[in-house]
Amino acid sequence: MEQSSQETPRAVEVTLRPFELSDVDAMMVWASDPQVAAVCSWDAYESTEPLLAFIRDAVLPHPWYRAICLAGEDRPVGAVLMMPTGDLCRAEIGYHLARAHWGKGVATAAVKRTVAALFDEMEGLERVEALVDVANPASQRVLEKAGFTREAVLRKYCAIKGVVKDMVMFSFINTDPLVE
Amino acid sequence: MEVQAVQGGVPAAEPELAITLREFTLSDADAEAFMSWASDPRVVRFQRRPPLHRRPRPAAPLVPRHLRRRPPRGLHLRQARRAGPRGRRPPFMASVGYRVAREHWGRGVATRAVTAAADAVFAAWPWLRRLEAVADVENPASQRVLEKAGFVREGVLRQYIMLKGRPRDMVMFSIVDTDRGEHKQPVVETHGP
Repeated sequence: MEQSSQETPRAVEVTLRPFELSDVDAMMVWASDPQVAAVCSWDAYESTEPLLAFIRDAVLPHPWYRAICLAGEDRPVGAVLMMPTGDLCRAEIGYHLARAHWGKGVATAAVKRTVAALFDEMEGLERVEALVDVANPASQRVLEKAGFTREAVLRKYCAIKGVVKDMVMFSFINTDPLVE
Repeated sequence: MEVQAVQGGVPAAEPELAITLREFTLSDADAEAFMSWASDPRVVRFQRRPPLHRRPRPAAPLVPRHLRRRPPRGLHLRQARRAGPRGRRPPFMASVGYRVAREHWGRGVATRAVTAAADAVFAAWPWLRRLEAVADVENPASQRVLEKAGFVREGVLRQYIMLKGRPRDMVMFSIVDTDRGEHKQPVVETHGP
């Protein structure tokens, strides 16, 4: 089949690994970025000391928090995490990416790997879900390209920096086909 | 089953069906009433906990709101649960669930109780922005209760909960403060950086 000039480029490859304290400088790249923090519950970090404490106290003991690395590189460009819900059958994921790597399919690749890993690792998992602000279409596209199904707008579902927001609920269930 | 008066092919609304909500007590009467529906497989069909065979101990975490008839007989309404589903969100959201003894089905009891409960919690909890409820996709009666009680159907969440060993698709419903014409101050967040 003839390739059009608009065909998506060769898929980005990423690896996921646990974080280490030595990743603080790499993490600072996105943690200090107000554009990244704008859609998150936390404020952009202004120094590495509190970020180091965050890695030590929240990331390292976390049940599933992974650094996103581009294939062949060890320096993280983002993070993806699994957050337990009240039910063992259901897990939520979230992700952050340094702005320099937006728009290249990196987050999509990371989410695909995450879904495959979670269904492989978590016994009894039936559903992976993710919530995205209705006003964040780029992040919604990440999930759609990763094979998630858009299910509903949940109104006033999350409070981000004091503002209660409508969130789009996406899910990937264990009978959905994994996307290559 | 009770026989209902029929007018023109439509069951007549029962006159003066008084519904009140009250808290559960630890009395034997309440425990027996609770047992009457909690042991009924038809009532608990869409409930994760299996039918009870023994009366729950007083220390069991029963729920505070209950529909009252003399003696208490039918409906119990689970109190809206404070705080979001994952704890990292500020407590501006709550959820509601309900059970009605089988002999009181089909008479609008649940609808009235859920409506009254929604009114009560929005009045009692100034922090509340969202009250949500889920109903099994195969439980249209419960979905109708929520719709008639003023909840908005938001969508189907696939394989959302496990029910007796099987994953279930659930319909999510909600009432938000702005549905009720209320507008609140920004939420004060309680989590760390």
